[in-house]
Amino acid sequence: MANLRVEQWSALPPAKGWWARLSMGDWAWAAGLTAAAGIVLGLYGAGFGYWQFVVLACWYAALMAAGLAWRPMQIATLAVVAPALLAVWLYSIGQTPANNFLLRDVLQGYAAALWMSGLLLAATAAYLVFLFTRSERLGRWATGLTWAGAIMGFIALGVRWRETYIGHPDWGHIPVSNLWEVFVLFCASTPLFYLYYEKRNQARALGAFVLPLVAAGVGFLLWLTFAQHMDRIEPLIPALQSFWMKLHVPMMFVGYANFTIASLVGFAYLLGERSRRRGGWLGRALPTGAVMDDVMYKAIALGFLFFTASTILGAVWAAEAWGGFWSWDPKETWALIVWLNYAGYLHARVVKGWRGTAMAWWSAMSLWVVSFCFLGVNLFLSGLHSYGQL
Amino acid sequence: MTERSAIAPPPHARWRLLVQFLGSMRLAVSLLVLLAIASIIGTILTQQQPYPNYALQFGPFWFQVFRELGLYNVYRTLWYTGIVAFLVLSTATCVTRNTPRMLREMRDFPTRQAEQVLLEQDEWVRMQSPLAPAAAGERAAQVLRAAGYRPRVEQVADGSLAVAARKGRYQRVGYFLTHIAIVVICGGALYNADVPVKWAEWRGALQPEKNFDLPLSQIPQKSWMSVHNPAYRGTITLPEGETANAVFELAGDGYLVQPLPFRIHLQSFQISYYSTGMPKDFISRIVLYNDQGKELKAGLVRVNHPMSYDGVEIYQSSFSDGGSLLRMNSYLLGAPGTSPRTLEGRVGQTLQAGNSGYAVDLKNFDLYNIVPKSAVGEKATPDHPTVNLGPSFTYIVHDKSGAGAEFKTYMTPITREGQGFFVQGFRTAFANPYQYVYIPTGPHGGIGLFMDYLAALQVAARAGSNASEAIFVDTFRQVVAQDAPEMSPNAQAVFLQASMDALLQLRDYPMPFVLSLSSFDHRWAAGLQVTKWPGTTVIYWGCVALVLGIFILFYLPQKRIWMRLRAHDEGVELLAGGSANRNRLDFEKEFSTLAAGLEQVLEGSEIAHKEKDNGKPAS
Repeated sequence: MANLRVEQWSALPPAKGWWARLSMGDWAWAAGLTAAAGIVLGLYGAGFGYWQFVVLACWYAALMAAGLAWRPMQIATLAVVAPALLAVWLYSIGQTPANNFLLRDVLQGYAAALWMSGLLLAATAAYLVFLFTRSERLGRWATGLTWAGAIMGFIALGVRWRETYIGHPDWGHIPVSNLWEVFVLFCASTPLFYLYYEKRNQARALGAFVLPLVAAGVGFLLWLTFAQHMDRIEPLIPALQSFWMKLHVPMMFVGYANFTIASLVGFAYLLGERSRRRGGWLGRALPTGAVMDDVMYKAIALGFLFFTASTILGAVWAAEAWGGFWSWDPKETWALIVWLNYAGYLHARVVKGWRGTAMAWWSAMSLWVVSFCFLGVNLFLSGLHSYGQL
Repeated sequence: MTERSAIAPPPHARWRLLVQFLGSMRLAVSLLVLLAIASIIGTILTQQQPYPNYALQFGPFWFQVFRELGLYNVYRTLWYTGIVAFLVLSTATCVTRNTPRMLREMRDFPTRQAEQVLLEQDEWVRMQSPLAPAAAGERAAQVLRAAGYRPRVEQVADGSLAVAARKGRYQRVGYFLTHIAIVVICGGALYNADVPVKWAEWRGALQPEKNFDLPLSQIPQKSWMSVHNPAYRGTITLPEGETANAVFELAGDGYLVQPLPFRIHLQSFQISYYSTGMPKDFISRIVLYNDQGKELKAGLVRVNHPMSYDGVEIYQSSFSDGGSLLRMNSYLLGAPGTSPRTLEGRVGQTLQAGNSGYAVDLKNFDLYNIVPKSAVGEKATPDHPTVNLGPSFTYIVHDKSGAGAEFKTYMTPITREGQGFFVQGFRTAFANPYQYVYIPTGPHGGIGLFMDYLAALQVAARAGSNASEAIFVDTFRQVVAQDAPEMSPNAQAVFLQASMDALLQLRDYPMPFVLSLSSFDHRWAAGLQVTKWPGTTVIYWGCVALVLGIFILFYLPQKRIWMRLRAHDEGVELLAGGSANRNRLDFEKEFSTLAAGLEQVLEGSEIAHKEKDNGKPAS
């Protein structure tokens, strides 16, 4: 090629690879996370079975990837881990909710879940008012409240994990074993994923569509708490005593959270397009159809990946616990229905190139399929998964 | 599942049309949705129940219709498997049809591309630069390098310069992995589903036995599967101390027998409990022997911890009574003065109560009866919400006419306000809840005092006494003086009141005798599931491929960019076009960043770019 003089190159942007794009904060994150994993290994590694290494590696990889892909996750992780460790430490020095106000009112799993509920309800209200007023200040508040709610939710789960061991060491389990616990997980993880899509697309108006469903989840959680007293810690039935639960259930909720978001964005798309045709205000408030369509697709793709992996892990677990990886249990069958539904959606969108209103309808209506799989099966049908029942 | 390029077959080739139909996207999406809808049926209708349950639920007509449709075991019907097979066929057709094209696409990436092709890309931009073509080409390549591409530059014969770059070359691998995985998983599942047996059953060479009470030795050979059967999943209920070498597999409203390549001996079964009374673990201690009695393997089988031997897995799946030995006392209600008789039998046996003509079916024995404290009128605490009422046994008594009643008898008395009670439940219809008789226990713990009192009352009644309060009290005094003179007056008063209540409760009591449990020799039976599924490993590899494939498909999209630089009087004109096969909105942003970079380093100015209908979803 022709010889170029050096000064002519100066106008070129510097070549920046993936590594070069990492900031100081990213490096600190990677180092901190690695150190934390090292400390866990140093403290408890000697007693680990092979599966505990697998679980640790999964958490390490997932947090690392999430933190590097989305920087706010780094701060959020710290905001969850630090208070949760404080609570664990308080418990370890003999403090209890009865004699420590911090545990009683904020940090114990039950209290933190109530804080989460309150914050998410407030966030929902803020998003709804924001949609009508378009006040930037209020919008920032809505986002902040959602962050706070999600963080409190994960603190609740972390501290409760410790609490399951207190007083009865043989009860200990990851808190995803009954309807109350998985609803805390759902109410915490859905806003977290939503915040990612909001930030990435500068699409705050979508909060007014996503958060109301989270608020409904919070309402159900409060009903479970106050009417059903399902916040009580109970030991695990033999079938649930398996390390697969630590992977199967949390991954399932990555799927549920993303599918839920996609459905609600689908509703937003339909209302937004309708309003746009008539020149209404909602069409102006919402992001463009292209952006909403993209959020729907991205959420479904991510949800589908995790849902597939989680269903497979569930099948591996079932093979070990029930002697068959697929028993056509209602929950399994509905998981298959959800999977087929979204496989259909993705084929139609990616391969056939369908876009727009039809796909938004598909995504929106899938909410029924997903919520029946998540909740309806437990409420209306019986089967091997019936420990999630009321 | 063709990707945009429908291969047009010669119209006369019929099989080509068939292949095109099988591989069409429309069929694939339709099958996915159809399968989803068909799957719902089995979740609404509880599957694989005994047929009489369905007959009761639907009535004879609909029972028959639903049976013909196979709705009682939907997922194993011909039509359901047919849809799955069709989906697999469609997927396989797709993969076969697309493979050559995709391999070609992966291998070949021409640097030169006609300008018309560039203008057909999702994104394109045309710009003008004052630089010389060679310099401009190198700078344009540098912009691509900065964005992480590895561009190729080529001099074209007409004097222009071609630049090309792509990312995600192996994205198509994701397509192969996911679609082949589906075929592999379904194939493995089909293998596990034991097709040869289904075929033999369909031909009539195998006939499910419908009599569930037959001993193993009397089951006809037509219901036996081969020991070399490649795949099976059967269950066996094995009492402690016994050995089995066959398992049972449900088939329609009957069952088939699967002989095992070894003998399973159950040494012991054990349940451990949490402090709340909830079961914590079910543990079977088993030993495997070969036919010559040589020990092959020994160990524990627990829930979530199966035992594996030679490709056969053994699971802890249920438990029941394995024929506990019960020793009972029988008190006759209508024969005063007779001492209790003893009875002895194992759970599952039918005893004759003396020569009275009453048959006692010993149905079940429970070592523990853990009930909420509130159910027995005690105060529950959060840590101890339940109470253990101890061992109980249930039995059915038939009289000569065949009329029967079911009883549930607790071995140890419960205590209420200082007075012990022997609890006896009874019901004359299975749908009814138990009615309870609380028989007060005397100072020695047994129900002898009450029975003596009852006998004395009957003697008094026969002697012509009227049922006055004085008679009840006087008779009681006499019985106590004889049986338990040490009873305090207070205890006597409580006992007398409790006896009056018991007499009232006994009015509805359907049989003329009461059984109590004096001792037992408990024996569990473990329900073990035995499976041989050689297809499982293949399925797991299919699953790994599926997840990996989905990841590649969605997160490593193929992006292709071509540029053409043409020299003219005042420098060079550049046309750049590109597309991504996933995440087109992201690519649109990436491309406009690239275009801006090009404009800057080429010191150029844009002439035109692809018109977008913004607001409408990118297509």
